[in-house]
Amino acid sequence: MESKVKSLREIVAEIPDEGAHIALGGFAITRNPVAFVFELIRQNKRDLTVSQIVAGLETDLLVGAGLVKKIQYSGGSLDRFGRLERINEAINKGLIDAREYSGTSMALRFLAGSMGIPFIPAKYLLGTDMLNALLEKKDDAIRVERSPFDGERYVYLRALQPDFAVIHAQYADEKGNVIIEGPYWDVETAKSAKKLFVTVEKVVSTEFIKRNPEKVVIPSLYVSAVAEVPFGAFPCSVYRFYDYDKDMLKEYAEASKDESKFKEFLQDYVLGTKDFEEFLEKVGGIRRLNKIKADPVYGY
Amino acid sequence: MSLPYTTNELMAVTAARLLRDKENVVVGLGLPQIAALLAQNTHAPNLTIIYEIGVINPEAEEMGVGVADPRLWYRAEHFTSFVGTLGSILQKGLVDVGFLGGLQVDKYGNINSTLIKTEKGIKHINGSGGAADMATWSKRLLIMMRHEKRKIVESVDYLTSVGYLRGYESRREEGLPMPEDVKIITNLCVFGFDEETRSLKLLSIHPGVKLEDVLQNTGVPLEISGEVKFTDEPTTEELELLRNKIDPQRMYI
Repeated sequence: MESKVKSLREIVAEIPDEGAHIALGGFAITRNPVAFVFELIRQNKRDLTVSQIVAGLETDLLVGAGLVKKIQYSGGSLDRFGRLERINEAINKGLIDAREYSGTSMALRFLAGSMGIPFIPAKYLLGTDMLNALLEKKDDAIRVERSPFDGERYVYLRALQPDFAVIHAQYADEKGNVIIEGPYWDVETAKSAKKLFVTVEKVVSTEFIKRNPEKVVIPSLYVSAVAEVPFGAFPCSVYRFYDYDKDMLKEYAEASKDESKFKEFLQDYVLGTKDFEEFLEKVGGIRRLNKIKADPVYGY
Repeated sequence: MSLPYTTNELMAVTAARLLRDKENVVVGLGLPQIAALLAQNTHAPNLTIIYEIGVINPEAEEMGVGVADPRLWYRAEHFTSFVGTLGSILQKGLVDVGFLGGLQVDKYGNINSTLIKTEKGIKHINGSGGAADMATWSKRLLIMMRHEKRKIVESVDYLTSVGYLRGYESRREEGLPMPEDVKIITNLCVFGFDEETRSLKLLSIHPGVKLEDVLQNTGVPLEISGEVKFTDEPTTEELELLRNKIDPQRMYI
């Protein structure tokens, strides 16, 4: 049987050096593909378009690193730890082309992409300044039309099929069957892409998959490659594996408020380490990670 | 006679009493979550609580830092996707109450949770997440805000979530379903909206608050006719539930 398991470095090398459109699967501070984004930054993938339902720490890092030229999203945060300061500053200074949506209008664009249909009509965005701004920019993903069935006004949300989607999940087998535990807001995002890369906490046997087919939320046929990256969402949480690391999130929230401090953070932790393992070692390794390991009953 | 209580306790109790049994509510972190849990523990045991991230009816033992915190997902009845919650449950018309907050609210109940305009230019803060979507389709909207002049304004700097848009029938003309009710609960008072003009209307002020304080801290002129009612106080039972069961660490009350 052909294995889709590759190293993170190999997977990121498949992305063109300039101009790729990537959908990210994180949500604020949970199941974010942080290790993947670290590697994107190390390999200097530039002029990216990023699409996401609710952005999180990994998106802020990528924008802060100056690699994103366009973002389509519905906002985001570090939950109570702070705002996405690098994204906010890039918007304030006009450094990125930001296309703002509501969460569901983004989610429905991914859903349409995953279904292979051209658009989805919805009432979402009607009357909002997100819609006004998109229409002003003549965004080709948005049209306001009357439905031929009920005659009512709808926003036609164009399907989104990004070049790549990247999500971080708990398990996959080497064929690429993906198990997500907890809520799975990123499934439509994952299924919409031309190529789907999945980083996982653990690669499991196909036998394990066959004993738990109801837990597989993305079957292998959608998946291009899998990389096993334990603690790959650190310092964000992965349900049933580990909690978020409060101190590291506070450190990031603080650093991200100031461009030079952010550059130091990037240099120390991302550019100054050869891979994610070295980064995890640098911030305290197994001693630190043991402190955030999830309780099996609570899942955090 | 009731025990002494905090403003946040009063706000949570006021919101909880506006929820009915067997309703479906979409909540976020903090007072909305506490209000929904209080309702579930009192008059609305069959309330269904939904988090946009894809979590239904959890029984958290600890308050978390946001909907992306697995603390909020503990003992859930169902996990789904964003499409499953706001793309399906909400869009199908099954959400009775959507809780909203934000940076600013205007006289027609429109909310800004995206950015602030300053002399130096725009200051981007957050964005919609699911908030605008909840404002589109929830049957009733409950807005919870700090009461400040710069937060309750004539018109918002950026319209993220639609309340009554430009008043009167403008929301319907835009193609949006009309909500049955919109209320704003602040730390000073409760606002509703006029049935015809759909503009801000004072419903009650919290006990101990002077009408003057409300008028001075509201960036919209208010018409006051007749005697102003006081918001009903929390009962001892409600306060004990809040303190001993729902938020024993007193993170939000």
